[in-house]
Amino acid sequence: MLEYLVSAEFYQIMLFYVYSFILLGAAMAVVTMRNSIYSALFLILSFFSAAALWLLLEAEFLALTLVLVYVGAVMVLFLFVIMMLDIKVKPNKGMSSYTKVGLFVALLMLVEMMMLLGKKLIPALPQDDLVKHIKGHSNVKEVAESLYTQYVLPFELASVILLVAIVAAILLTLRKRKDYNHVKPESQVHVKATNNRMRVVKMEAEKGNDIGGDS
Amino acid sequence: MNSILGWSELTPILPELIILATACIVLVLGLFTSSEKGGLLVLTSIVGVVFAAITTAKFHMGDHELTRQVLFNGNFVRDYMGDILKIAVYAVMLFVFIYSKQYLRDKNIFKGEFFALMLFGMLGIMIMISGYNYITLYLGLELLALSSYALVAYDRDNMQSNESAMKYFILGAIASGMLLYGMSMIYGAVGTLQIDHVALQVSNTNNTMLLSFGLVFIMVGVAFKLGAAPFHMWVPDVYQGAPTATTLFISSAPKIAAFAFAIRLLAQSLEGLFDNWQHIISVIAMLSIIIGNLFALQQDNIKRLFAYSTISHIGFMLLGFVGGIDGYAASMFYIITYALMSVAGFGMIIILSCKGFEAEKISDFKGLNQRNAWFAFMMLLIVASMAGFPPLIGFFSKLVVLKAIVDQGYYVMAGIAVVFAVIGSFYYLKIIKVMYFDESESDQEITAGFDVKSILSFNALLQLGLLLFIPSILSYCIKAIETL
Amino acid sequence: MSMNILLIIALSPLVGAIIAGFFGRKIGKIGSHLVTIASVAVSCILSIQVLMGLVNGEFTVFNQNVYSWMVTGDVSLNVGFLVDSLTALMMSVVTFVSLMVHIYTIGYMHDDPGYQRFFSYISLFTFAMLMLVMSNNFLQLFFGWEAVGLVSYLLIGFWFKKETAIFANMKAFLVNRVGDFGFLIGIAAVMMAFGTLDYSEVFAQLPQFADKTISIFPGVEWSLMTFIAIALFIGAMGKSAQAPLHVWLPDSMEGPTPISALIHAATMVTAGIFMVSRMSPIFEMSDTALSFVMLIGAFTAFFMGLIGIVQNDIKRVVAYSTLSQLGYMTVALGVSAYSAAIFHLMTHAFFKALLFLGAGSVIIAMHHKQDMSEMGGLKKYMFITFITMWIGTLALTGFPGFSGFFSKDIIIEATHLSDRWGSSVAYIAVLFGVFITALYSFRLLYLTFHGKEKMDNHTKEHLKESPWVVTLPLVLLAIPSIAIGWMTIEPILFGGFLSDAIHVLPQNDVVKEIGQEHFHGAGSFVLHGLTQLPFFLALAGFALASYIYLKKISIADNAKKTFRPIYDLLQNKYGFDDFNQKYIAGGLVSLGNLLWKWSDSKLIDGLIVNGSAKLVNKISKVFRGFQSGYIYHYALVMAVAVILFIGVHVI
Repeated sequence: MLEYLVSAEFYQIMLFYVYSFILLGAAMAVVTMRNSIYSALFLILSFFSAAALWLLLEAEFLALTLVLVYVGAVMVLFLFVIMMLDIKVKPNKGMSSYTKVGLFVALLMLVEMMMLLGKKLIPALPQDDLVKHIKGHSNVKEVAESLYTQYVLPFELASVILLVAIVAAILLTLRKRKDYNHVKPESQVHVKATNNRMRVVKMEAEKGNDIGGDS
Repeated sequence: MNSILGWSELTPILPELIILATACIVLVLGLFTSSEKGGLLVLTSIVGVVFAAITTAKFHMGDHELTRQVLFNGNFVRDYMGDILKIAVYAVMLFVFIYSKQYLRDKNIFKGEFFALMLFGMLGIMIMISGYNYITLYLGLELLALSSYALVAYDRDNMQSNESAMKYFILGAIASGMLLYGMSMIYGAVGTLQIDHVALQVSNTNNTMLLSFGLVFIMVGVAFKLGAAPFHMWVPDVYQGAPTATTLFISSAPKIAAFAFAIRLLAQSLEGLFDNWQHIISVIAMLSIIIGNLFALQQDNIKRLFAYSTISHIGFMLLGFVGGIDGYAASMFYIITYALMSVAGFGMIIILSCKGFEAEKISDFKGLNQRNAWFAFMMLLIVASMAGFPPLIGFFSKLVVLKAIVDQGYYVMAGIAVVFAVIGSFYYLKIIKVMYFDESESDQEITAGFDVKSILSFNALLQLGLLLFIPSILSYCIKAIETL
Repeated sequence: MSMNILLIIALSPLVGAIIAGFFGRKIGKIGSHLVTIASVAVSCILSIQVLMGLVNGEFTVFNQNVYSWMVTGDVSLNVGFLVDSLTALMMSVVTFVSLMVHIYTIGYMHDDPGYQRFFSYISLFTFAMLMLVMSNNFLQLFFGWEAVGLVSYLLIGFWFKKETAIFANMKAFLVNRVGDFGFLIGIAAVMMAFGTLDYSEVFAQLPQFADKTISIFPGVEWSLMTFIAIALFIGAMGKSAQAPLHVWLPDSMEGPTPISALIHAATMVTAGIFMVSRMSPIFEMSDTALSFVMLIGAFTAFFMGLIGIVQNDIKRVVAYSTLSQLGYMTVALGVSAYSAAIFHLMTHAFFKALLFLGAGSVIIAMHHKQDMSEMGGLKKYMFITFITMWIGTLALTGFPGFSGFFSKDIIIEATHLSDRWGSSVAYIAVLFGVFITALYSFRLLYLTFHGKEKMDNHTKEHLKESPWVVTLPLVLLAIPSIAIGWMTIEPILFGGFLSDAIHVLPQNDVVKEIGQEHFHGAGSFVLHGLTQLPFFLALAGFALASYIYLKKISIADNAKKTFRPIYDLLQNKYGFDDFNQKYIAGGLVSLGNLLWKWSDSKLIDGLIVNGSAKLVNKISKVFRGFQSGYIYHYALVMAVAVILFIGVHVI
């Protein structure tokens, strides 16, 4: 028993549970927080925990990508947006009736899942066959191999989906402002000295005091 | 064995590639086309679809008509059912393109992106039809869904359009989440995601508890996509809120995709759990028929009415799923004919709309017979076919499904379905009554071009004309299901 | 024979009907009658050619499917032709009489606004009748059966502005429905028992079914063959106007006279006779059914003839004589003398068409008045009509040597020889029927052509012989009325001409018995006939009629007063009409009213239709609350549904 407590497996499992709870807690917080800045920050925390879980599975590449892309790029952008939008935080007035219903439904779901999966899954947890790669195993290579052979079609499809997302986002948000005066360089270049740049106005010679009046 | 892809794998996927290429071309062309002259975009889209149709037909006619080609390491399959359904999708999409041109011009929202998004959505549909791996299927679904969300929100200055897009997006995300969750459960139980491997594992495993748990979530995804009760709540709101050209699209071709999706997931990969999902699907089907028909009675907006009618039609289609092999074939027949019917119905709404006027109230159809007797008759054909009056095609598709389930001994379900179909015929009759017996409130002319008018007439007359082809279409469907 | 000939025979009248019907306006009156007459003439000539071919042995029996309409399971429904001697005979008679009537119609209808329509109808009728007789299966037979019924309905109501015509065609239609219901049951029973509708296949299986019984009501066992035969015969009773389904035929005289001749005397009404002969293998299996047939026929033959005596409408007299003669044919069927029935059918077709057309000629001359009490002495004015009517009457009454004599005498003789149950009653009926026939026939002649001229002056001034298109058919029909019996009695009855179509069990074959014991050529048959009871009875009828209507007309009036109850009974046609009108039709109407008022408007409309609509409305309003438009409501419904599905189906 003691031997088990000091073994690598034990620490791996302990770490798994620790990060899992942090992940779940953070995810709960994302939903329940009233202040969107806090929510975003908790989301970052949950990403970190997820990355840690991947590390435990020796999927270092994925873990790092998650941190870099989501935390480093996406979430920072997200925070910018939230801060720029100036969302007013509503004071917390206790649980609304919807929350009660929601909690009740969630509880029901939980009970059902416990009944179904509880006793089946626990003994099936992977205790002995945790992932252990040999030294020098390339995580990147494995992901790449999978993506470009086995899953090349889904991979390409995902890229199409991203394209659609971009198109959709631009379509729905890009607006031409009608009151915006902008310079058109291409028409500036085409201006001809004789016709466009200079207008020769023929005027009659002044006649005494007869000034003004529309011609 | 993992392999790098080669030409032999690219040729069967050529239709998909053509559609993708067309989508990109249209996207780029759209930038250089003014909204008044959109004919080129429509033409390009149509040409793309026609080319895709030719390639599909060519592969279908080739030596491997009945064989099944599994490609891309088990991510994609070309089989008889896929070919037939894709051809149906092409046909429907041609109608969609032609009708929507008119509408977008009238509403002054003609842009290349609309057609590009439709083509992307169509690509998603084709992937859903031909996907052979849960991941591929899911990506096809998402591709379609994302395009649809954007298309629903397309008329961005219209609050209704935005609101319905929001609902669609959020509910769709929930359904997608549930679907993915279900898929992960299945993966957990069988350790693979490829359709035929799953089927094999399911028949070997005895861990049905986990499987059926995952199954329920998968069915939520399928039912949501089909718009079947009780996951139908988005349907009326979205149909009503979206620009009619979009409604035209999402009410027709995606239903075919959802059917294929259901066949691949339920009938093909989870066949071993037939007893489990059969109950759920019969409940969903009955609920859809009941709710669809009952709610339709209360509507005065024709787009909303058609939405509920769609729900009841989907219910009818799903009934076939409890009838085994014959039932699947009947459902396939039903969904193909339904898509052609639905596209004609919304085409009719489009043709009656014009600049600054949306013909979406039932009262807008008042006295149509006095205004334009020919199109009143076309609408009569469409509506009567939807209601399932003989001798129109809608009657026979219902008949085929009912026969399939009665053969299996589901008399009560068939009886309920018939009763509610009869109740449902009331609101269809209301439209007919309004068209023929009420005084016209406006003297709005039908301003649509000759091409749209003639294509719509053709589409409506198909409700009669398809009668000649019932045996051949039905035999295709049966062959398609048998060669799954 | 080739199929093409048969197709031309059958379809050419249809083409004529279509052209005259749809393009009648364009091609005009002359175009219409030319095209229909030509099309029927083609049919007629080819039919006679087919008949000749069969007689000479050039052609053999044709039995083939032309077109497969549909195949469901093991049953295939076909359109096919069976052309044997029986069919060929019928085809020739039908097309010949039809051709005569077509020609006659030119004169009879010449200023009727529905001229083209009429030609279209009679051509259509010819087509339908040909389909009926040429059929090789029950389905096509039924098609032809219903089609001739339809045309009959259309033609009785041809003058659709006339109240009585509308009433008459409705009556004909409804009464025929009763018969057709039986017929349809018979066909269904055939289908059920034999699994096929093809004649030859059914007949081939017959021996296996001889002792088979069915129980329609529990505990009551019926012979299957008897059941089928009687059911089929009920159909024949409707179409061939046998009591008690005869009531429509006298009323059908409301239609134009040419169709009375064609449809309600010569052809359609004999469809029942033809059908029973065609089904002779089935009927031969059941003595019970044959007895039933015979007694129904005997009743009709005798009692319907009696009514003829008191009628004053010239066409009605002929109509009742038709009923009576149909009764004779039915009796012949009942005693298994099918060939005699067909023989009488043929001779009757000629002389009865002649009588009707003659009556029509009189009616033309009288400006469409039909009451005999306003006629008389017409022989001066219309000699051809007078002579031909006399010929027709002599043929009808069975004067030795005329065609009717041969056929009727054979029937009486056959009934006499038959040992079927009840045949003695039938014998008495048909025997005294001869007397009655002679009485009303000569009464008609005397009242119309002899005696005082009772018409008004205006009519008298315009009296003249009808145009040649009317008299030509009379002459052409008079020839077979005289001669056809002489010519054909031997081959048809005793020469085995019909043996390929008609099947008679040896112990029932009375015709053969007559042939062996009494028949030594037509001439000696006539001489033999002069010494027989029927001849004296006919003579008695002739003498009585001559005495009363030529010498002392007051006897008729006195008799009317003396035998008032009998006269009233006959005038009321034994009360069949009143009974039907009051109890069957009236009862159904009040039952209908009851169902309509109580069950339809209260129960179905009030409770089920409107009530359910209200209920549905209420329910849908309640459920509508869920469709609130809020995303979280929608999501909640989805979540609850998932939980329920898991809860119910998985756990």
